[in-house]
Amino acid sequence: MNDETLILYYYNDGLSARQRQEVAHVLASDTIVADRYMALCQELSDLVADDAAVPTADMVQRWHDGLDRAIGLHAQARPTPAVHSWSFLLGAGVTAALAIGIGIGILVSRDEQPPIPLNQDLVTDNGVTNSTGRSSAFIRGLQVHLRESERGIGALPGSTDADRERLILNIIEQNRLFERAAEQNDSANLARVLRAFELVLVQLAAADVSPEDAEALRTKLLFELNVVLTKIARDTSDEPQSI
Amino acid sequence: MVAVMTGTAPPSRAEFHEAIANRSTRWYAACLKITRNQELAEDAVQEALLSAWNNRHQFQRNSRLETWIHRIAVNAALQLLRSSRPNVFEPLESDVPDRAATPERVQDDYELGNQLADAFSVLSEIERVCFVLKHLEQWRLREIAEELDVKIDTVKQALFRGVKKLRVKMKSLQGETA
Repeated sequence: MNDETLILYYYNDGLSARQRQEVAHVLASDTIVADRYMALCQELSDLVADDAAVPTADMVQRWHDGLDRAIGLHAQARPTPAVHSWSFLLGAGVTAALAIGIGIGILVSRDEQPPIPLNQDLVTDNGVTNSTGRSSAFIRGLQVHLRESERGIGALPGSTDADRERLILNIIEQNRLFERAAEQNDSANLARVLRAFELVLVQLAAADVSPEDAEALRTKLLFELNVVLTKIARDTSDEPQSI
Repeated sequence: MVAVMTGTAPPSRAEFHEAIANRSTRWYAACLKITRNQELAEDAVQEALLSAWNNRHQFQRNSRLETWIHRIAVNAALQLLRSSRPNVFEPLESDVPDRAATPERVQDDYELGNQLADAFSVLSEIERVCFVLKHLEQWRLREIAEELDVKIDTVKQALFRGVKKLRVKMKSLQGETA
């Protein structure tokens, strides 16, 4: 009997009931295998982590603060009844289309304007730009946010109205966090793209949006999110990794 | 005190803060074992908290809030690791580590802070992650395969190789300290 089978037996995973019975039978009848198994158990049980690495007090405080900020934004995002009027939708639709078009155009085009420095200078720490650590964390977080938004928006057709509103409000909350971070770090173009996303998201969250308009907005958002994600992935693919 | 939900309401802000105070060390440690990078581990915990808060209505009652967030944090750490190194979970053909023991890596291992972490230096990324998820986080093999988007046999082989290497390495380390 090989070690691989004994390892699976130890973890009680990856073996059928019959295979487990066979192992048990061998362990009961073959002292050599039984000794090997006991040694394996002892060595595996010694492979424990004592979690010596603990987060700093500052780190823990940042988690508390981050949670509070998110909760604050959530509270702000709820009362937005005025944006549900048709007149706003018409105006905002044009504005959003233009803003996204302009924003994405600026983000993607290297020829017409300097590109947004997605892989540097996006986040500052106490006013001092840190172009490798915090900004790469910002980009990673932004990518996660955009991918989760893409996934959530992609799944909207099967959602109830309440779920749709809740999901979109959550995306708006996260979007505002990144928009604010971008603004605070002189990435006005990126902030503008994120604001443009929010405008479309607000339309999509409206209770009175028609199914046809909702589908058109959803398709557009998915396309634009994909464009931005592709752009970020391309810009950051050559960055040195910290691992 | 462990926050256990017994009512119908989603977990409150206070319960989230209590969970951070009580268990964030464990979340961070788990994320650090997966990412081996302090910034990524911190980000993973932060993302997990925000995600948990945003989805607090989906929280299963009568279970521990801390455990729920722990799982989300581990998932976030895996996602961040995958984002930072897109092919990180591709299985290796050979039975050798996929990274050299660079000074940075040695430092990372040191910061994990124990002998097991030292031993991790001999593992490839997929071997370490599979071992951490199976041995320390007690995930099912099927869950690991689904999360890493690899075949279950790939997980098994990575686990077998990881355990084999760790057994040898731990004996070596224990010999050095004896």
